[in-house]
Amino acid sequence: MTSRVAATRLRAADIPYPLLVGALGALSAILFLVSLVVGYVPLDPVAAVSDIIAGRDSVGALVMVELRLPRALLGLMVGFSLGATGAALQGLLRNPLADPGVIGVSGAAALGAVIAFYSGLAGFLSIGLALGGLAGAGLATALLLLLARQGAGTTALILSGVAIGSLAGALTALALNLSPSPYAVMEVVFWLMGSLADRSLDHVLLAAPLMAVGWILLLGAGRALDGLSLGEETARSLGFDVMRLRLRIVVASAFAIGSAVAVAGAIGFVGLVVPHVLRPLVGHQPGPLVLVSGLGGAVLTLAADILVRVLPTHPELKLGVVTAIIGAPFLFSLLWRMRREMD
Amino acid sequence: MGAMLAAAISVAGLQGALSPAFGAAEPRSVVSLNLCADELVLRLAAPGQVKSVTWLARDSRASTVAAQARDIPVNHGLAEEIVPLSPDLVIAGVYTTRMAIAFLERLGIPVMDLGVPATLEAVRAQIRQVAEALGQQVAGEAMIADLDLALADDGTAGGGERPTALVLRPNGLTAGRGSLVDTLLTRAGLVNLAAELQPDGFGRLALEEIVAAQPDILILNADPDAPPSMARSLLEHPALAGLKESATVVTVPTRLWTCAGPQLADAMTILKSAAEQARHATGNPRRAP
Repeated sequence: MTSRVAATRLRAADIPYPLLVGALGALSAILFLVSLVVGYVPLDPVAAVSDIIAGRDSVGALVMVELRLPRALLGLMVGFSLGATGAALQGLLRNPLADPGVIGVSGAAALGAVIAFYSGLAGFLSIGLALGGLAGAGLATALLLLLARQGAGTTALILSGVAIGSLAGALTALALNLSPSPYAVMEVVFWLMGSLADRSLDHVLLAAPLMAVGWILLLGAGRALDGLSLGEETARSLGFDVMRLRLRIVVASAFAIGSAVAVAGAIGFVGLVVPHVLRPLVGHQPGPLVLVSGLGGAVLTLAADILVRVLPTHPELKLGVVTAIIGAPFLFSLLWRMRREMD
Repeated sequence: MGAMLAAAISVAGLQGALSPAFGAAEPRSVVSLNLCADELVLRLAAPGQVKSVTWLARDSRASTVAAQARDIPVNHGLAEEIVPLSPDLVIAGVYTTRMAIAFLERLGIPVMDLGVPATLEAVRAQIRQVAEALGQQVAGEAMIADLDLALADDGTAGGGERPTALVLRPNGLTAGRGSLVDTLLTRAGLVNLAAELQPDGFGRLALEEIVAAQPDILILNADPDAPPSMARSLLEHPALAGLKESATVVTVPTRLWTCAGPQLADAMTILKSAAEQARHATGNPRRAP
């Protein structure tokens, strides 16, 4: 089985898999460093780093550690979660449109986090906020899989996702309107479009363990996803438990997307664009696509977050604005291709 | 001042309204559609002269006249609530409840608009404007005299160093050049750092800029028991923890320095004592006068 998968991969992919992973990893590392250098006050990065190492309490060190480092780390982590979850969902549903944003999982996670935070149940830095996001993302994914299981076609699946997404968006706006805080209504934009502005290391520490659980589950599902790409019956005959795979992806997307949205809002289209671009490079195999999409998601999210800080728009653009401007044309091109295939 | 009054009358006149000139006859039913106007009319008017104020006037977090407003009917800035009161004077803010104002003016109800004062001169002019419209010139002049007395001893008189200060509101909003808060900071003997930085279109500073500005005094302008919001959470960001330790931190509630009125003296007292504290704390403020 493994040898056959490997053989297909070698035939279709021009770039060897380890080289692809290495290149994307190196690109994310470079963008991570650029993200540390870009900001709102002029700062000598070398001096700041030497201050940090020497333990000096300079302004440069403070800005670097407390403001830019959390932003760069979250760009990496949130991007990886979005890309990897997008690839896994697409493999599981065997549908290239299954992106956590498009099918409403991110929106539902935002709703969960909003209810937990603005009702006063959870602080902005508490586990309660993340659990709200987890519950929202988990419920939405489970609902979609239930629909997919009942044999609904591509159109029905995407439409139900869109319905879940719009309902979650409307309920988010409603929850924020009902909040007694005069600022809540303005914060709708953050939850619906996402941003990494003004995050702290505490957010990183809150999200990191939860995301790690999601990543481990996602990366471990690669072989089963490869099996599933041959059809559900074949996958079963090869010894994969399809039911368990579904459950695993639901839990993984709840952890990865729920915690990402709780700290960064719902950033759309990353999970759609990245697997779409990278799929041909891994020979259309859903298994290896999970890791490379995670790295690709980190690259895209870091690049978008650098762009919003470099653009002369103040207040800075929300991240979701940039990813949607890049992502929406991809969605169009995908739909166009699907229509052609149907004709 | 006279020109301002004349302009107000001519605006009402242009609407084709039967407008009794403000101050000519004492209006007997006055309605306020703006919190700053609430504060002035409740302090200046004769008992029974005010028929309605905004609902905000009763909220002791936002208003300095919550006690006086307790027995006055409230409105929510809707024309429907105002018309049945058949007021002979409506006082509103230039930026608030514009739809209601347009409707009331069409009905020929005299409306006086209050601007947002940015200087102490404008504060005095506004108190005088409202007092004259209410026919309470004596009370108005007394309020101005009290305020001038309280502000007479300004923090710049000592000729000492001028500590730097930065106002921080939820969402990273600050008080920039040309605001009333900027005027008060300068008069209290402080250097307003936000006047030199460039806040964005909403008057916001990035956290990086706040941390790098290193003010001697951090003036928090936020309600400590406000309902949860991300705007509020920003003030708890760990990056500000160091600044809160090194700088003199004071809290000025918004209600003390937004509107024209005697409460400005209370804001000034807080600012002056913060300036004094900072001079003692650092001994060597980062910025010379």
